[in-house]
Amino acid sequence: MTPVRTLDVTGLPMYEISSRAPLWWGQLLLCVIEGSVFSILIAMYFYLRLSVDVWPPTRVQLLHTGLPTLALIPLLLSAGGSYIASEAAKKNSRVGMLVGLGSNLGLALVFLSFRFVEWRTFNFTWASDIHGTLVWSILFLHTFDVAADLIMTLVLVVIVAIGRYGPKQRIGVHVDSVVWYFLVLIWLPLYVVLYWGPRLVGGA
Amino acid sequence: MFATGLPQIGEAYFTAASMMIGITSGIQIFCWLATMWTGRLRLTTATHFVFGFIFIFVAGGLTGLMLASIPLDLQSHDTYFVVAHLHYVLIGGALFPLFGGFHFWFPKFTGRMIDERLGKISFWLLFVGFNTTFFPMHLLGLHGMTRRIYTYSPELGWGNANLTATIGAFTIAIGGIVFIANVLRSRRSGPIAGADPWDAATLEWAAASPPRPYNFALLPTVTSGAPMWTPPEDRGVVTGMRPDRREVLVTTLTEAQPTQRMVLPGPTPWPFLAAFGFTIGLYGSVFAFSWHYIAAALGMIGLIGWFWPRRPLEIEP
Repeated sequence: MTPVRTLDVTGLPMYEISSRAPLWWGQLLLCVIEGSVFSILIAMYFYLRLSVDVWPPTRVQLLHTGLPTLALIPLLLSAGGSYIASEAAKKNSRVGMLVGLGSNLGLALVFLSFRFVEWRTFNFTWASDIHGTLVWSILFLHTFDVAADLIMTLVLVVIVAIGRYGPKQRIGVHVDSVVWYFLVLIWLPLYVVLYWGPRLVGGA
Repeated sequence: MFATGLPQIGEAYFTAASMMIGITSGIQIFCWLATMWTGRLRLTTATHFVFGFIFIFVAGGLTGLMLASIPLDLQSHDTYFVVAHLHYVLIGGALFPLFGGFHFWFPKFTGRMIDERLGKISFWLLFVGFNTTFFPMHLLGLHGMTRRIYTYSPELGWGNANLTATIGAFTIAIGGIVFIANVLRSRRSGPIAGADPWDAATLEWAAASPPRPYNFALLPTVTSGAPMWTPPEDRGVVTGMRPDRREVLVTTLTEAQPTQRMVLPGPTPWPFLAAFGFTIGLYGSVFAFSWHYIAAALGMIGLIGWFWPRRPLEIEP
């Protein structure tokens, strides 16, 4: 069998810094996995809430809403930094990438410091009761994801700052934004559940 | 599940989920029937096993639907009825297709044909043996014989059905021996198969039997769901890929038009470090929480080292 038709692929690009990059889809599927875990945690939260009369238990004070609500501002703004960086990666603008990644990193660190200050006000641990276990599980998983993404962002900042990057690393900058958008967006329902849930369905 | 003391709402979910399996399996079975109806069937050993699979699997699926109802499940819980059901589903649904696939692809992975006559003998031994073994178990279960017992008193009247099942089990064993003998014999002295002994439609039959490690020297292009039945003048190959590095084509999702010639990373020890860190860290976390941090740190070092840019930063086309 001698094939008559040939399909020549010599001229095809080696990279594409867009949602056509396989890495972009990999990051999206990572978000699907993490999103499923968070969904399961939310389902657990409400399922276990059904088994008690008062939520949270009476000696546990309601979570304060002030600081977490304030922390939403830097968090939402940091997604803007992420957007600037991902667009700059497409245009190969080093300044744009540095500004975008830097503001993403800085604002996210502000968000995290708000969170650590807030944690000092909790009067329960992850082992004190089922409410505490769930609150800490959700907060720990989200913080862990945020920290992992910030380390990734920091590595990207260093790579771009010292100029040791090519198209492959720019794909990294571009897809870093996918995970960050996800972590910002998933926090909104988690925030509502953790801080407003007990006020709406707390009982007592 | 119903006997585990679930709350009633949980039981309702399990009933609904079990019933839903019936819908998807039913659609599958009708798809298979339609495929066979619209094709031209050749009664090879592989086809025999497919028929056996559908027959047994449908029988097992029907008892599965019965077990989705809470009162029937509670009544037959932990009895031989359940043993019969799960063997009809597992052996029918998994083992018979495996045998069929083995006979179908045997020429591809050995380069020799498997003997059809011995194959059909082994099929009939397995099929009759299987039904002789497991069909009586339905009745035993409905008569109250529980699972996981090694003996029972003779006045219960289960003796004949159990004897039948034992005869069936030995028939299965004989069928297995015939199958193994057929494989060993055909592998040594079966007729040479060639690339496409079945005149099959799919692409694996375009490769040599047994296939080379690289499958194809030039990637074939595919224009239909049955590429081997496409007229030879419409078949094509991809040219322009470099053979000296790990290149893959990235294509669009629905039309499969090539859009990128992506170069995959070469071998590196960094992912091993990441895997090592996660493994010891997460094992350690069974004993102390702080091992999570060790897992995270070692894993991160491995991943960052893997990601760290190496020169040349831009790959030559």
